[in-house]
Amino acid sequence: MIARTAILALLPIVAVIALSQRRRLTAIIGMGLFSFLLAVAYLLLHAPDVALTEATIGLGLITAIYVLAIRRTGRLAVVADEAPGLFAREGDRIVGLEHEILERFARHLGLDLSVQLVPHRDVADLVRSGEADVGTGGWVRGEEAGVLVTQAHLDTALFTVGGGKGESFEDLPRVRYEGYFADLDPQSLYTAEASVTLDLARLLAVRRSDVPDAFVTRHPQTRGYAFVVNERRRDLHSALDAYIEGLRETGELDRLTRRFLA
Amino acid sequence: MRPRPFNLLAIVCTVCVVLVVLLAFHSAGPVNAPYATYVERPVEETGATNRVASIYLNYRLYDSLLEILVFFVAVLGVRFYLGVRERPDVPPLAESEVVRTSAALLFPIAVLLGVYLAALGQISPGGGFGAGVIAASGLLLTSIALGIDAIDRRIQRNAIERIERGALVVLLLLVLLPLPLGHPAFTDLLPKGSPGMVLSGGSIPLYNVLIALKVVTGSWLILRSFVRHRGEI
Repeated sequence: MIARTAILALLPIVAVIALSQRRRLTAIIGMGLFSFLLAVAYLLLHAPDVALTEATIGLGLITAIYVLAIRRTGRLAVVADEAPGLFAREGDRIVGLEHEILERFARHLGLDLSVQLVPHRDVADLVRSGEADVGTGGWVRGEEAGVLVTQAHLDTALFTVGGGKGESFEDLPRVRYEGYFADLDPQSLYTAEASVTLDLARLLAVRRSDVPDAFVTRHPQTRGYAFVVNERRRDLHSALDAYIEGLRETGELDRLTRRFLA
Repeated sequence: MRPRPFNLLAIVCTVCVVLVVLLAFHSAGPVNAPYATYVERPVEETGATNRVASIYLNYRLYDSLLEILVFFVAVLGVRFYLGVRERPDVPPLAESEVVRTSAALLFPIAVLLGVYLAALGQISPGGGFGAGVIAASGLLLTSIALGIDAIDRRIQRNAIERIERGALVVLLLLVLLPLPLGHPAFTDLLPKGSPGMVLSGGSIPLYNVLIALKVVTGSWLILRSFVRHRGEI
């Protein structure tokens, strides 16, 4: 009797908790818990047949189908290359300004963030093909066509580093740096003829590994870091753009920038 | 499936069910009795110790028949609207060894549980609907682990479709069979057996097995249509 009353009282509470979850997976698990309690309630009310059906359909089949349904829609798939301070590994976590913004944005939409680290040159391709929702990781505005670019969340500049032959800026390709940032060997830049164009965040990381200043030249134009979105996902693009605007207006973006890049 | 807007079999089935229901209301006497009186009746009348089964598969069999028809129409609708653009190859999910192993372990258990619940629905809690869903969940789990192509290779879709429709036709014939023999429709003609034994309850075990077949094949066809339509599990 007490058990029955307790479960009946729990049911609406669990229902409200399940329905008020922003994160979809949590909501689905909450619904599964609701079905389970309901099955127990049926059992205590001497209706084992109904309890059995509730458990198999409500707890088993429906939960499985919902989980499969949100596999694609329930997450925000991000591809990025590492960029120190913006999007970088720290132990087995990923930290940085851009990661923080995207994580908050995903929570805002009720999605789970799924991150894949890829070489810099693959970011745009993966976003264009629709395999990823958002591309980032020290992405400098104006690098690539065929994708939507959000407003810049941070100013930056491009620098050419290396023992090249003193090319003028007009001759320089905009960005030659393409692979995994982790594979970039700063020492090789000052010995060979190779040179590479880097953004500010990566330059600072490279310069920490004692590099002579003489090999660095700055591109005069001021650029900005941004996120890229598939061209067909205009809704996602405007949502992210508006979210960054909101962060900027409340001053939260400045606080975050100081936290990660001070 | 190539969409066939006017599936002849569906029309025949629908007409049959409507006729059956009309006939049932005309010929069968006690079908309109209130539920309380069913519970008070002696167990020997249906032979099923599970009173729930004795109500929904004997006294109120036509209720269940309409329920099955609703399910049949649902399957038909899903397959009609989602069968238009099927993707030929659906890559399996890149699941871990843990998922594959547990699916291999759980699938036989799900099937066994389904068979058990369907075959013993007359003496213990269970029945065809739940049994079919449990077995279909087992199929879903296996398709998550191995991919839908693996299941399509093992079980021919045509066979599933035939079972799905065949079960309904056999059910309809079973409930109509008493008519030419001079009884009202929905009359249980089989011997009732001694209550509590596996072979008891007259036609109830037979109905349970047919419903279980219908539900497992229908659920699988719906799940399969969803997966084929969206191109991934």
